[in-house]
Amino acid sequence: MEAEDDLAVKLSIYRTLSETGGAPTASRVAADTRLGEEAVLASFQRLHARRLLVPEPGDPSHIRMAPPFSGIPTAFPVEARGRRYFANCVWDAYGIAAALKCDAVIPATDAASGEPLVLEVVENAPVPLPYVAHFAVPAALWWRDIVYT
Amino acid sequence: MLLFRSGETVDRWCAANGSPRRPLLTLDQLWRLAVVWYENRLTAESRRPGPDEMVSVFASIGLTGPFWDPKSDAFTSST
Repeated sequence: MEAEDDLAVKLSIYRTLSETGGAPTASRVAADTRLGEEAVLASFQRLHARRLLVPEPGDPSHIRMAPPFSGIPTAFPVEARGRRYFANCVWDAYGIAAALKCDAVIPATDAASGEPLVLEVVENAPVPLPYVAHFAVPAALWWRDIVYT
Repeated sequence: MLLFRSGETVDRWCAANGSPRRPLLTLDQLWRLAVVWYENRLTAESRRPGPDEMVSVFASIGLTGPFWDPKSDAFTSST
């Protein structure tokens, strides 16, 4: 039963994110799945334990991350399907294009200088550019502080 | 994971933040990683790769060593 709830909750979250660009609250997921809000909150916690979801710190009824999507505005917007999404990092910015399977424009910046650096995905491939991504945190520590990572 | 114009601006960011320079990925590597990780994320069958699968995924795009091993304890005293 928990597995069924978790699947319904996960699909509801991603459906809302992909269709609107914004993360649903627990109450909205409850209405969408016809589960009780307490059941949805419990599912949020199980999905978090499986590293598929990060509830908002201090407010478990809101979603901070449903990778590759961010539940709040970030420095990694992704313009696709005529709307704006937000990613958690540059990897996730490409991840949104990969998950949605569509072209995308990613108006990012150089993290050191603030210089605008625009990435694009066209026909399931990145437009070649000489930029680089820096992974500051080793894989073993990613979930020690996933918001920072 | 942050974006930079070049290795030079990575070095500036590391110096400003007191952070060691760690691996750099090309945009092609990053895209390949994003596809493997997320292309099925919106489907019922999707799941996050397990630790051993992660090592294989990273190795498939040329990323090897303890930095890319989620079970490594080589960095447990640092960030």
